[in-house]
Amino acid sequence: MDPDELEFLGEKSKIMIIPTFNKENIHLISGDLGPFRASLPSQVPLWVATLLKKQKRCKIIPPDWMNVEYLEALKEQEKQTSGFTRMPSDHYMVEAKLLLDCAPDDIPNADEVKVIIKDIWDMRMSKIRSSVTKLVKNSDFYAAVDNLTIMEINSVRPILPHALDNLFRMKHIEQPKPSQNSNVSSFLMSKRASTSFQLSNNEDY
Amino acid sequence: MFGEKGYNLIKELARSEDNLPPYNSDLVNEISHEITKQFEENRDDAQNSTIDGSESLLLNTIRIRNGASKRNIRCLMAYHYNRLKCLRTMRWEFGSILPPDIKANLSSDELEWFSNYSKTLVNYMKSIGEDGINLAVDLKPPKALYIEVQCLVDYGRFELSDGTMLLLKKNSRHYLPRSECEELIRQGVFKHIS
Amino acid sequence: MDLDDTNLEDLNDSNDSEDYVHITPAEVLELMEETWVNEKFAPEILPNKTEVVDIILEQIKSMEVNIKNLSNDDFTKNIYQLEVDKLRFMVTSYLRTRLEKIESYVVHILKEEEKRVEKGESKYLSEQEYKFAQDYSRSMDRYFNKIMNFCPNLTSDTWSSKVIEPNNNSFVFMKSKKTIEGLPIDITNADSDLVDIKSGSRVIICYSSIEELVKNGDVNLI
Repeated sequence: MDPDELEFLGEKSKIMIIPTFNKENIHLISGDLGPFRASLPSQVPLWVATLLKKQKRCKIIPPDWMNVEYLEALKEQEKQTSGFTRMPSDHYMVEAKLLLDCAPDDIPNADEVKVIIKDIWDMRMSKIRSSVTKLVKNSDFYAAVDNLTIMEINSVRPILPHALDNLFRMKHIEQPKPSQNSNVSSFLMSKRASTSFQLSNNEDY
Repeated sequence: MFGEKGYNLIKELARSEDNLPPYNSDLVNEISHEITKQFEENRDDAQNSTIDGSESLLLNTIRIRNGASKRNIRCLMAYHYNRLKCLRTMRWEFGSILPPDIKANLSSDELEWFSNYSKTLVNYMKSIGEDGINLAVDLKPPKALYIEVQCLVDYGRFELSDGTMLLLKKNSRHYLPRSECEELIRQGVFKHIS
Repeated sequence: MDLDDTNLEDLNDSNDSEDYVHITPAEVLELMEETWVNEKFAPEILPNKTEVVDIILEQIKSMEVNIKNLSNDDFTKNIYQLEVDKLRFMVTSYLRTRLEKIESYVVHILKEEEKRVEKGESKYLSEQEYKFAQDYSRSMDRYFNKIMNFCPNLTSDTWSSKVIEPNNNSFVFMKSKKTIEGLPIDITNADSDLVDIKSGSRVIICYSSIEELVKNGDVNLI
């Protein structure tokens, strides 16, 4: 999926704004927005928020997680665990990019926020790379990826699925047809452990 | 050598991934000829072998010829199939009318296929929903704000920031990102209409 | 600009649709998005969702009429317009993805459709797509007939005998909407390891293991 399409999916996230205008409801197909009263917070999709912000018709209230304190804690947690921390939003990268682009004035310490988010992303990407290597080396044909966000999943595409496609194909060439002689086939087949490779730190999974 | 021409045809295809070089009818004909010859020789040998009983000797020759012609056929198919795929992409890029420099590189069969494909596609697009829908536009998720403008003069070609080329004719109407037309509105080329 | 909620019997997956579903435009939109992403990531062509596409197109159409009536001075006009553009992109992208699959796998897809008709199952292609597939396949036949007619031994099915099939054993990412128990991770193997997938979980898995779950809506590709 290309980056524009990921952004397209992420733009649906709901964001709080403080409008500078008064307006009755906006009846979108995706649902009603408003009514808007100047200086009273109101919830809109991210794409509407950026549109209004560009027209200087609103102030953005950054999402709860988009502040230095929260993100520093998140970064620390990501550093401490070998698995993946659950992110505050499935589209945190898209939200950060769009809001930092159009409303840096509404986000306290915007530059710092940007740096920490980048740090967290980099840390997670390096974990993803080593997980992918492990997965492919073990020829695991199943893995939980619970705490990976859509954009992170997209970052291993197409390389990871393609690698597994080919490993799967090779495995099936190796195997004699089980129906022909079950004794031989079960002897020849390398028994793989039934545990799935855990990409997430979700212990109870 | 058997199959060498077929190999050359495929090499030509691989060299020109995204564009279409002139249709190589000479090479295609030579390969077709090679295939026909292999078929004929095999047929003759097969007939002779039943007469004088020299089957085992001829069998290997026949097998090799058969393998070679199969390979040649595959090369021909791959060459033609991939050119069609490229043409298909061009239909989506350029619409139903191809630029003359591309048209000049096509065989008459390819031209016919293109116009058939174009018709098939248009019929399909017309049949969607109540009024039909143009699938060749809206290729990217929309981002900017769009406005409808009317062109007041014969302006000629105009390139948008995403590389799209527009032909701006007098009285033509366009639906464009506001940011892209502001300059032309100021110049009096466009009029913003509702 | 009020949009009426739409009553949709068709969208109900269950056959016992005595109590038909009351579905809002917002919910149809969700469905359209899932349908679009599923189609994008599924190796094979999925059963068509013409009902969903048609509703979205109707919504777009009536919204466009409303937009025309808004004054240009009304800044909300842009918001309405952008939403319509976004929806149109999603629908066209979905239909384009399907056309690409139809073109790539046309021989295979038409054969499968024939089998479905024989078994009395509903077709995967919409009526319009089916016609497109037939026309496309015919023009390919005609073209390759001409290319191959230099040799009388080669018949028209030379091209269609080299069938390109989607690889349903390719790996995909999915998110589960339900708890799934005892799912084989390799359905080609009778002794396959089984896994349980919790509702809301995300995994990478072989498409053939979850093919049916994608089609009945229990999981979404992501």
